Amino acid sequence: MFDRKGQIRIIESFLAIAVVFSAVLVSMTFPSSPDLSKQNSLASMGAQALMKLDTDGTLGNLIIQQNWTSIKTALDILLPIGVSFNLTVYDELGQQVNPEVIQNSNLLGREAVSVQHLCATRSQTVQFFVVRLQLAWTG
Amino acid sequence: MILLALSAMAGTSKLMAPYLTDLAHRDDADRFQPLASHLLLTTGTPANWGQLAGTVPSSFGLAKADALQPYDLDIDKVTRLNGENAYSIDYSDLWQAFGVKDVSFQIEVKTLFQLSIDMISNATLGGLRVYEFRVTAAKSGMPVSAALSNYVVVQDFVNETACSTSSNGVATFEVGIPNSISGTALLLVFAQATVNHDIVSLGMYSFGHNAQSPLPNRTFTQLNPLDYVLNASLRYSSVEVSEAQMFTFNYNFSLNVKTQGVQTVEYSVPRLLDASPMVMVLTGVNGSASFAEWVTYPQVPLQVGAGFSESTAGSRIAVCSHTVTIGSALYEVVTKWGGVADNV
Repeated sequence: MFDRKGQIRIIESFLAIAVVFSAVLVSMTFPSSPDLSKQNSLASMGAQALMKLDTDGTLGNLIIQQNWTSIKTALDILLPIGVSFNLTVYDELGQQVNPEVIQNSNLLGREAVSVQHLCATRSQTVQFFVVRLQLAWTG
Repeated sequence: MILLALSAMAGTSKLMAPYLTDLAHRDDADRFQPLASHLLLTTGTPANWGQLAGTVPSSFGLAKADALQPYDLDIDKVTRLNGENAYSIDYSDLWQAFGVKDVSFQIEVKTLFQLSIDMISNATLGGLRVYEFRVTAAKSGMPVSAALSNYVVVQDFVNETACSTSSNGVATFEVGIPNSISGTALLLVFAQATVNHDIVSLGMYSFGHNAQSPLPNRTFTQLNPLDYVLNASLRYSSVEVSEAQMFTFNYNFSLNVKTQGVQTVEYSVPRLLDASPMVMVLTGVNGSASFAEWVTYPQVPLQVGAGFSESTAGSRIAVCSHTVTIGSALYEVVTKWGGVADNV
């Protein structure tokens, strides 16, 4: 009376659909990989900003003068709006030089990239500094 | 049966995955970032295409031919992107020369911060008319502390003043112009960021001094700077040029005539080391109307390329921002990239 073969096929197809949907659901719950392209573009912007700031020795002079406010203001102008940064200056021994924080907003909890730039002063006694700039997109 | 179907699906998806991923990432910033860098780091072909007025490059790049540092752009290549210049290259030629057929792009070049100028008041004081101006220096609303160099030009009269903005980016200053002269007056303001002297911005404000409000810039002349020559094309035969002057943050002087033709004059432009945009001002008369018209060199701000805002709804657009050197001053180049070459 009932076509048992037909019933089995229907059950089979439902099962197949369930398996496929569960596979889709499982794959959606996997954490997505970080957006590397955005990070690369941030790193490129940061490296360029430091390079341009150091072109005529401005960066080295500002570090020697311990003018941290001016370094922060220069980066504010050189970096696009929407980029948060935190800059740390280290001397040749790896000791932190800036006693105060040089940043425009807090990077905590954000996906940040780090760029390092070697800066030499343009004076008779050349001093080297490693400038580490951490950047993240705001919002 | 189920197992067979699932294995077939798994096999197919495994085989197709690389192709699907490739298609999905066709418009990614990952792909556009190197293209933006390539545009700003290569010279194009020929390497000096910027100086060759009639030449369309066979490959497109904006870097200076003998650059000593990366992201140093050629002043003439940038100038030829501006549609107001007679030697400009249109987007379809740029797109062809760039050579990436499935990508459309837009290039914007501007100063790193902007100025806004307002006239607050004006009053007669003895034989002078004294105008008071307020200048605001800001980057996207963030105040910029800067030193200002201000010039007022009325015919042959030039008045230079200097001042600084306060920490909120605002400066006010007064300019006195003798009442014995009249005509179109042009105020030029150069602002040099206190933190880095290579960061310079500029602004212009045109007004009538004992005269009617001036007509828009480029009404009487078309000014085309290229290869350190200013070509001035006079729009009417009745236009008479009285003076051609050049202004930068630190300098101002008259330009010498190089050649003179029918309704065209060419002036030699000296190569200065001053980290500042150059502004060239032509003053003169057309009948009873006086004018003071100007052009910047490099001819910025400018925007050229695909109009992404109106035509690519739903498509992915990548925006890349770069700080570049043109002349000795720093500028911002914003490039936008998309996968649809719709405006070509």
